[in-house]
Amino acid sequence: MDQRRSVSDLFNPLRPESNRNPPLYPSLIPKTLISLPKRGQNPSGAQKPPAMETTVSYQRFPKVRIREMKDEYCKFELRETDASMANALRRVMIAEVPTVAIDLVEIEVNSSVLNDEFIAHRLGLIPLTSDNAMRMRFSRDCDSCDGDGQCEFCSVEFHLNVCCDSDQTLDVTSADLRSAEASVIPVDLAVKALAMESSSTSYEAAEQRGIIIVKLRRGQELRLRAIARKGIGKDHAKWSPAATVTFMYEPDIHINEDLMETLSLDEKRAWIESSPTKVFDLDPNTGQVVVVDPEAYTYDDEVIKKAEAMGKPGLVEINAKEDSFIFTVESTGAIKASQLVLNAIDVLRQKLDAVRLQDAEENDFSELKAHLG
Amino acid sequence: MLRPIETFIRKSAEKQEQRTKEISQSKYFSSTMMGPQLGIGSALSKRCHLRGADPSKLIYHKEEATEMGGYFICNGLERLCRLLILQKRNYPMSLVRKVFRARGDGYSDKAVVMRCVREDQSGVTVKLYYLQNGSARLGFWIGGREFLLPVGIVLKALIDTNDHEIYVSLTCCYKERYQREKGAVGTQLIGERAQIILDEVRNLSLFTRSDCLKHIGEYFKPAIDGFEAESYTAVADAVLRDYIFVHLTSNHDKFNLLIFMLQKLYALVDQTAAPDNGDVLQNQEVLLPGHLISIYLKEKVVEWLRRSRRLLAEEMAKSKDFSIKDPEQVKKFLARSSVSIGRSIESMLKVGRLATASSLDLPQKEGVTIQAERLNYLRFISHFCAVHRGAAFAKMRTTVVRKLMPESWGFLCPVHTPDGEPCGLLNHMTSTCCITSYFNTEGKVKDFRDIQRSIQNVLIRLGMSPLLPKLEHAGPPEVLQVLLDGRLVGSIACTEVEKAVAHIRSLKLSASSRIPDDLEVGYVPLSLGGAYPGLYLFTSPSRFLRPVRNISHTTDQNIELIGPFEQAFMEIRCADGSDGGRRSFPATHEEIHPTGILSVVANLTPWSDHNQSPRNMYQCQMAKQTMGFSSQAIRFRTDVKAYHLQTPQSPIVRTASYNKYCVDEFPTGTNAIVAVLAYSGYDMEDAMILNKSSVDRGLCRGHIYQTESIDLAERQEKSSKKVFARSNDKSMSSSIDSDGLPYIGQMVKPKEPLYSTYDDLTSDVKSTLLKGSEPVIVDNVTVIGTASKNCMQKVNIRTRRIRNPIIGDKFSSRHGQKGVCSQLWPDIDMPFSAVTGMRPDLIINPHAFPSRMTIGMLLESIAAKAGSLHGKFIDATPFASSVDKKDGKERSERSSLVDELGPMLASHGFNYHGSEVLYSGFYGTEMTCEIFIGPVYYQRLRHMVSDKFQVRSTGTVDPITRQPVGGRKRGGGIRFGEMERDSVLAHGAAYLLHDRLHSCSDYHIAEVCSFCGSLLTATVIQQQKRIVQEIPGVPQTRTPKNFTCHACKTKKGMETVAMPYVFRYLAAELAAMNIRMELKLSNRAGC
Repeated sequence: MDQRRSVSDLFNPLRPESNRNPPLYPSLIPKTLISLPKRGQNPSGAQKPPAMETTVSYQRFPKVRIREMKDEYCKFELRETDASMANALRRVMIAEVPTVAIDLVEIEVNSSVLNDEFIAHRLGLIPLTSDNAMRMRFSRDCDSCDGDGQCEFCSVEFHLNVCCDSDQTLDVTSADLRSAEASVIPVDLAVKALAMESSSTSYEAAEQRGIIIVKLRRGQELRLRAIARKGIGKDHAKWSPAATVTFMYEPDIHINEDLMETLSLDEKRAWIESSPTKVFDLDPNTGQVVVVDPEAYTYDDEVIKKAEAMGKPGLVEINAKEDSFIFTVESTGAIKASQLVLNAIDVLRQKLDAVRLQDAEENDFSELKAHLG
Repeated sequence: MLRPIETFIRKSAEKQEQRTKEISQSKYFSSTMMGPQLGIGSALSKRCHLRGADPSKLIYHKEEATEMGGYFICNGLERLCRLLILQKRNYPMSLVRKVFRARGDGYSDKAVVMRCVREDQSGVTVKLYYLQNGSARLGFWIGGREFLLPVGIVLKALIDTNDHEIYVSLTCCYKERYQREKGAVGTQLIGERAQIILDEVRNLSLFTRSDCLKHIGEYFKPAIDGFEAESYTAVADAVLRDYIFVHLTSNHDKFNLLIFMLQKLYALVDQTAAPDNGDVLQNQEVLLPGHLISIYLKEKVVEWLRRSRRLLAEEMAKSKDFSIKDPEQVKKFLARSSVSIGRSIESMLKVGRLATASSLDLPQKEGVTIQAERLNYLRFISHFCAVHRGAAFAKMRTTVVRKLMPESWGFLCPVHTPDGEPCGLLNHMTSTCCITSYFNTEGKVKDFRDIQRSIQNVLIRLGMSPLLPKLEHAGPPEVLQVLLDGRLVGSIACTEVEKAVAHIRSLKLSASSRIPDDLEVGYVPLSLGGAYPGLYLFTSPSRFLRPVRNISHTTDQNIELIGPFEQAFMEIRCADGSDGGRRSFPATHEEIHPTGILSVVANLTPWSDHNQSPRNMYQCQMAKQTMGFSSQAIRFRTDVKAYHLQTPQSPIVRTASYNKYCVDEFPTGTNAIVAVLAYSGYDMEDAMILNKSSVDRGLCRGHIYQTESIDLAERQEKSSKKVFARSNDKSMSSSIDSDGLPYIGQMVKPKEPLYSTYDDLTSDVKSTLLKGSEPVIVDNVTVIGTASKNCMQKVNIRTRRIRNPIIGDKFSSRHGQKGVCSQLWPDIDMPFSAVTGMRPDLIINPHAFPSRMTIGMLLESIAAKAGSLHGKFIDATPFASSVDKKDGKERSERSSLVDELGPMLASHGFNYHGSEVLYSGFYGTEMTCEIFIGPVYYQRLRHMVSDKFQVRSTGTVDPITRQPVGGRKRGGGIRFGEMERDSVLAHGAAYLLHDRLHSCSDYHIAEVCSFCGSLLTATVIQQQKRIVQEIPGVPQTRTPKNFTCHACKTKKGMETVAMPYVFRYLAAELAAMNIRMELKLSNRAGC
C-alpha cells in the first residue's frame, strides 16, 4: 500500500506538480487527527499559481480523521472542505475506481438450466480481488494485445469446468473458478483463505462454498473460459468496488436548556422518544436531556416537530455543518475500503490533472476561469 | 453436434385432468354414444395419458409440475372453449321485447321463454307469445324457420283432455278471495282468455286429441325430413317429442308446464308479476366445453346417420345383392364413405367455428374456442375464469348488457373486466365461484333421475301435494307451484314453504342425505307485482355456484353452495357481521370473506380496498401483460412467443391469495426501491428513471423466446425434395452446422443465415436469412419426425432475444401505475440516503398520486420497507380489517394500517411515515424535502420499444402514388394525417408542412403544356447529338431533356411544375374516366 503521500496534496490538486514536497503521510492509524495546515499557510512554502493570487482562492486544506477501519468497512471524517469535494469523492469511489471483473465469457459446454447470457452475467458480478487494478491497463488501451487474455497487463484468464455426476444437485460456485493469476481470485475465496490463515479453527465462512453461479443436476455440465478485465463502475456496475459510499453532514445540536427545564420529566422522555434514532437521552442523575449521539440524527426534523407540537418551538436547534462530513465506505471486497479511498483520491487527482493539462495545451484557461467565476 | 432429439410432438391429444371449473366430457360420449367403429378421431376420444399424474411424473414428462390441464392442444397451441353465458335452462322466463311484435299481426311484446335442455345437453328454446286478443302462440325453430302453434292445439294434442279440464287448470290461479291477499297473480280475465284459447281450437274444428295431432302432423310434415313415409300422427308425436319441452319425457308433464307458462304469461300481461331480466346472472348459466362438444358431436352423428341412410337407400335401390340385413356388408359399404366426425370436432376446436346448418340453440357459431396464451401465469389462468356474454352483444350499441348487475355479486368479479371494447361483456369468475358439473365428486356421471326422485320424496314429506292424483287446483297466494328442473312436481302451501326451504337447505349441508350439495333452491316469495312466485329447484349442470356460510347451522359443516337464482331472494350478510344499513336484517347466511367477490387476479392486488376502483381494473389488465416467469418447463415448450423474466422475485407485500394460488411458482416482478420525487424532470408525465447500475446487476432483465417451425415438406414442389444441408462453402460454416441447422448457443445477426436447405432437383443450397432487426441467440433446435422418413424435413428452431431494460420500456406497479422508462442513470447520479447509503432503483413522480389516489401503493411501500427490515412478508389482503372487527378486541388497537406499520419502521430508526432525508447525487446537498422511499413490487410489461420503434429517412415508396409506405415491418413511415396537418396549419408553419407533405413525400417535377393545360401529354423528344464545345474549367452540364406536347405538337409551351406525384395520378385516373384536367399556369405568386 502506497501511503507515502501528502494529504494536503491529495485534496489540493490544483497545485503544480513540480512543487510537491511531500511530507510523510502518517500511517492510517485509527483515531488519529492529522492536523493539516490552515488556508494560506502552506508549510511547504508553496508557490501558488499566479492566477490564484489575483482572485479569491478556493484552495482549502481539508482534514481527515479516521474513525474506524476494517478491510471492507471504513468510516472517516472529512473536515474543512465543501460538499462538492465530498460528493466528488463519493462519486469517484462508486463509479471510477477501477477493479477487475469478468468481462468476456467463452462458453464451451452449457447444459445447465440457465442460459449462456445469464451465466455470463452472474460471472461478471462476482467480485474479484483487484489490488493491482490501478496498475493494470484497460484492455482498450493495451498495446501488447487485444484483450483476449493473453496479456498479463490487461486481463486475467479464468477457467471453469464442472460436471455433475451424482444424483445430488451440484452447486457451481465461485470456488470452481480457476484463475490464471493468484492475485486475482473471487473475493470470498480470498476472505476464506485469510480466515484459514489467521485461525486454523473452523471459521464460519469456511462452511460456505462460495458464491453460487448455477446448480447442476445429474449429467449437466458447464465448461467455459472467462476473461477478467479492468474497468470502472461507470461502464458497468460490476466494476464498482463500493457496495455503499455515503456521507452525512455533521449535525450541530444546541438544546435550549432553559426551555428544556420547563418540561416535565415525562415530557422530556416523550420528546426524546419522538426521534426514531437514539440522539438524545436523559441523564439518569440530573434529569437533564443530553445529546448522546449527534451523528445518529438523520435530519428528519422529528424532534423539532415534536417540540412545536408541545408548544415549545426553539427547544432545540439543529444545523448541518457545511464543511464537515462523515463518510461511510463499504467495499465489495475487491479492494480494501481504505485503499478504495486512496485510489479514489488518486483517480480524482488524475482527472483534475487531465483538465489542467488540457487547459495548458489549449490555452483557454482564462475562458474556463471566466466560466467558473 | 445435434442435440438429443426430443420428438416432443404434442398432437391434439386431449388433456383430461379435471378442473372444478371446466369439465371435459369425452368419457361420457365415448361410453354411451359412439362405438369405436364410428371412427371418431382417436386423439380426441382417447384420454390423456397424464391423467392423475403426480408432480414428479409431470416433470418427468417435461410438463409443468402444477399443470392443471383443461385445455386441448391443437397444432401445438393450447386452446380452450370459451365459457359463454346462456339463458338459464329449464326455467320459464317472462320477457318483454319489442321484437316479439314483429312475429306477426296481433302479437304483443310479451312472451314467456324457456330454454329446454335434454340430458344430452342439446336444447330447444320454446317461446310462448301473448297475442293481443288474449290468446297465445307457442313458437319454436326448426331449421332456420320459426313455427308458431296456437297453444290450445298443443294443449289438446299433448294429452287426452277436455275443454273443461283445460279451463279449470288455467283458471286455478284465480279465485275471488285471492284478490284481497298479497301475491295474487291471476286476474278474472284469465277465464275469458281460456275461453278464447279453446274457441280458437274449436274454430279450426279440432275436437279430439287425434284431430289436433293430425293437424300438427299435416302442418309439419314438409318441415321435418325423414318422416316422408310416416303418418301425420307420427309426425306430430315427433314434433311434440323433439321440439316442445324436450327436457320432459311425459306428455302430462309437458301439459302441466304449458299451463304454468300460460299462467305466468298472463300474470306478466296483467302486471301482477314483473318481467324477468335476461341480462342478469340470476337467469343465466354457462356453456361448458364438454357440453359444447357433445352437442356438436350429436349434430355431426345425426348428420352422418342421415347421409348413411340415404346412401344405403340408394345402394339398395341400385344393386340387387346388397342386403341391409347383413351387418358385414353394411359395415363394408359404410366404410367406403368417409367418416369425418372426429376431424370436424378437431377442426371445431382448432378454429372455434361450429360448421352446422342449424344454430344448435347456441348464441354464436364462431369464436367458441380461444387460445390460452401463456404470457404469464396470471394471464393463463384468467382464460379459464373468463366468461363471455356472447359475440352478438359486442356489436350492440346499447350498454345495458355491459352493466355490472347486483345479481352477479359473488359470482363475477366487479374489478376484473377489460376496459374498452369488451368491457362488461368479458367477465371473470370470482375466486370462490364454481360451476356445477355433470359428474359428482368421485368423477362419476350423476344420476339425475335418482336425485330428482329423492328430492321429490323429501318435498312430499315436507307437505307438498304431488300433482298426479289431481285433488284440487289452487294457485298463489294460497299455494306455490314447485318446479324441479323445469318440471311441475306439485304445489306447496305458502305457510309451509319457508319451513320446507330451510329444511331442504339443512339437508343440502348434511352429507348423509341424498340431497346434493349443489341443489339450487330458488324460492321466489309472494310479492306485490314482483317476480312470479314459486319454488324452483335446480339440480342441472353448468350453473354458477359459490359458497356462503349458513348461520342457522352452528355445526362445522355450514358452508352452503348457492346459485345466482336463489341468491336474489336470500338474506346474506357481509362478513363483518353488520346489518348493512337495515334496521332489522333477518340474515340466514353470511359471506365467508369479503375477498370472495374478487377474481384470482384482482385478489392479488395488495390493499386494493385502499385504491380508487379503476386503478384496480387497470392492474388486472396489466398483471396479464406482465413479463414474468411464464413457465417452468419453458425449455421443453415450443411457444411461438414466450416472455421470460430472468430474475423475478417474490413480493414482500402480498395477499392471502398469493400463497393460496402458489403464484410464487410463477412470479411476475421485482421488489424495486422506489423513491417518489421530482428529480430533474425526466420523471414527468408518468415517466420513470431507472437506476442503470441496478439494471447492470440484473433488475428486470428478460428474454423473448421465439420458436420458428420449418416444415420443408410443406414448401417443396412435387418433383423436388428439400433437405437441410450445408454447402461446402467455407463462409457459411461459421454460422451453420454440417446438417444445415444453426449451432446451439450461436448468435445470429439480422440478415445472416439461420439455416440452409438443399434442393435435389436444382441441386443448389439455399440459406434462409434471419428476419427482423435484432440479433438472436439460437436456444434450441428440435428435429421432428425422424422416425417416419429417412431424412429430416421438419425442424423447430427456438431463438432467444435479450431484452434488458432500455429507455422506452414499460413498467408498472401493482396499483395501475404504469410508466415508461425515460432515463437509465448510473448509481452516482441517483439521490442517496446519508444514513444507509441506499440509492433508489427507480424514481417516479409524486404527481402520479393525487389524482389517481392509489393509496395502496403508498401503503405497500411503507409495508415492504417494514417487512424487509423485520425480515418477514406482510399480509396485504384487502378488507382484512372488516373481518377483524367482528372479534371486537382488535378494533381499538388497529385504527389504521399506518399505525401498525409506522412503529415497525420507527423501531429500526426510520421515519414513522416512510420518508427519508435524501441527498442529491449530483451536488451532494440535502434535498429540500423528505422523500418517500421504499420497496414496491414492480412488474415489467411486455410492451417494449424494441418491438415498436419506427424510424425512416428514405425508403420504400408505394409504386402507384410514390408516397412512403406505412408499416413498421416494411420500414415505412408514420402517417402525417389530417389532424396533424391541421395543427401545423394552425401554427402557421407552412414551410414545415410543405416539407412533410411534399418534399419528404411524393415530390415530383412534371412537364405541363401551358397551351392546352394538360399534364399528361408531355412526351420526350429524342435528343439529337449536339456538339457542345467544352469549355475548360466549367463543369459539364447535363443537357435538360426536351419535352413536347403530344396534343399541341409543339414544345414552346412546356413548363416544369413541382407537384405531388398523386396529383399526376389523379389526372391520369380522371383521364381514364374521360375527364380532362386543365392546368392554368401563371408566374404570379398567390394566384
